[in-house]
Amino acid sequence: MEPGSLRDRLQRIAHAARQILYGMTTYEWAQSAKRERAEVERLFVLLSFGDLVGVPILPPYYTLRLLPFVVPALNRWKRSLLRERDWTDLAEFIEGID
Amino acid sequence: MNSILVLLIAAAALIVGYGVYARRIDRNVVQPDGKKATPAKMYMDGVDFTPASRNVLFGYQFKSIAALGPITGPIIAVQWGWFPAMLWIILGTFFIGWVQDYGAMMMGVRRDGDSLGALSYKLVSPRARTILMIFLYFYLLLIMGSFGNAVGKTLMTNPKVPLGMFIVVLMGILAGQMTYKWKKDIILTTVVTVVLTFVGIWLSTTKPVAAFFNGLYGLPESPVWFLGNTQAQVIGTLLVIVFCYLGSVMPIWSFAQPINYISFWIVSLGILGGILGMIIWRPGMGDFPAFTKFTTASGPLWPMLFVTIACGAISGWHSLVSTSGTARQLEAETDALPVGGGAMFLEMIFATVAFLTATAAFGGFQGYQDAGGAGKALAVFSGGLANFLSHIGIPKEFGTAYGSVFLTIMALTIMQLCVRFMRVASAELAGDKFPAMKNIHIGTIVALLLTLVFVWVIPWLTIWSAFGAANQLMAGLALMLIALWAMSEGRKHTWALYPAAFMIVTTIAALLYLAYTNFAKLSSPDITTQAAIAAVLVGLIAVVLVVAAAFLVYDGWKALRKPQPKKAPAKV
Repeated sequence: MEPGSLRDRLQRIAHAARQILYGMTTYEWAQSAKRERAEVERLFVLLSFGDLVGVPILPPYYTLRLLPFVVPALNRWKRSLLRERDWTDLAEFIEGID
Repeated sequence: MNSILVLLIAAAALIVGYGVYARRIDRNVVQPDGKKATPAKMYMDGVDFTPASRNVLFGYQFKSIAALGPITGPIIAVQWGWFPAMLWIILGTFFIGWVQDYGAMMMGVRRDGDSLGALSYKLVSPRARTILMIFLYFYLLLIMGSFGNAVGKTLMTNPKVPLGMFIVVLMGILAGQMTYKWKKDIILTTVVTVVLTFVGIWLSTTKPVAAFFNGLYGLPESPVWFLGNTQAQVIGTLLVIVFCYLGSVMPIWSFAQPINYISFWIVSLGILGGILGMIIWRPGMGDFPAFTKFTTASGPLWPMLFVTIACGAISGWHSLVSTSGTARQLEAETDALPVGGGAMFLEMIFATVAFLTATAAFGGFQGYQDAGGAGKALAVFSGGLANFLSHIGIPKEFGTAYGSVFLTIMALTIMQLCVRFMRVASAELAGDKFPAMKNIHIGTIVALLLTLVFVWVIPWLTIWSAFGAANQLMAGLALMLIALWAMSEGRKHTWALYPAAFMIVTTIAALLYLAYTNFAKLSSPDITTQAAIAAVLVGLIAVVLVVAAAFLVYDGWKALRKPQPKKAPAKV
């Protein structure tokens, strides 16, 4: 199919429409599922690597064995754990309020 | 004026507003850079900060901002005549609404994805964040009161509505189970639950069901139980409260979220059917006056019209969604205009359709008044929608029940999320002093008791005006922040500053009017206990909001006078 042809354009429009519909419907579900998983992960990393942010919970021996699995997520975890939050951060949880 | 002409005018405003004015501000003033890393990419955590396609975000943003506000506001506002209401919907969006939604989004992107609270703290003053929290708290409380009032005391008292609502709730629970527990395909889940919901709404229009609820409500002459509320209104409100309680304490995946999902389809199909019916019918406004009188039951046109239509023209809530939600997910800065501005202009069209259900669907002003008028805005919408739907072959009786159920469920989905939010907020605020507030049931019950007071005591039009004012104050603050942010980057800022000044002055005037009229009622010798409590409550809320706004104006003025960089960085 040639780019720019009528069929191509129609396909792109259909793709955009599907994405918009997804944004209006199940995107919220996906976000919520991701958030729930992230909360569990955050708690797990806090319990095992709390000393990285000044909360020594488990002795370092055990955490060292977990270290290779956690390293890829450490930066993300620190950023997300230490990010300042207030009420207005919760606004996205009550979408469609207006 | 013909309804199709009104739609064409709104479409023209969309094309000129979005295509010319908004693009010009975007290209020449804000100068987004498509290659610059956004917070979604820089701070990606897979949850809050995560890049998403502009189409997905457009859908998300539109669904987040368009709910009952753009339906209710225009229907109430046509009591001043169709012309001022239509003018404010179009010009409000054109000059102010998109500026706020888009500006807040760009500000969030350029400021590392900070929330509106953090931005108020940094750009205005530490006190501004507290003031924002006050606006937000009253906004939520008043939204609970106004929607609770509209649903519990109007829609739910129609004996053809409660069963439909129960069915929607049951189907929502079923959808949650099918998706999360039984791992069923989403298309199958959607088809099964939506079809069964329509069957349920049809069942609710049958005689035995209506007879049952007639008996429960003591209809046709429902007796007054207390504080001027009838048996039907008290039972209707209590049903709403039970629903909100369940929505607040049950896991979100099993109740609130799937019900929201089902309601999306029910509402969208209704709106699409209504628009189709309107296009086939092409009704005119008949004798609906362009302008009725300057002072109506809601007060004088200025400032009250501008707080009556909030969402649909400009709404402070959008700035919260734009910063805390969407700005953190934008893939590129250049997506902010189609997502933020585009969704707001589309909401203007949505508000115009709601406006037409009041002005064109009943053949004239008398029809609008007979359907309930401003005092029963949601009943007007369901009746108007039924009239539109009848032109695509849907019986009026079913159409009215359908319209009422979808408005009810729309309001309830919002209310249950508000209660969740208030529960979390009260646990954070008062949890240390009163550990009981951390209990989800106690936090929820406290929020619902406050709601009951607002619903049973305060009249609908008064509470709607107060709710609009709290919302518009948030808009004023957001616009002021956008102006300050533009100044901090050395850019032109009048495109946000003038709308901010207009919104703040208008809303303070509206609040002063509300405070004055409510306290003045207390001097009347005939005032009832209910009216006195309502007057004191609304008067006090208005005073608190005015004081908070005065501090905000003072802090904002000081921030505006701080020296700023001279020139914007040139676009490479």
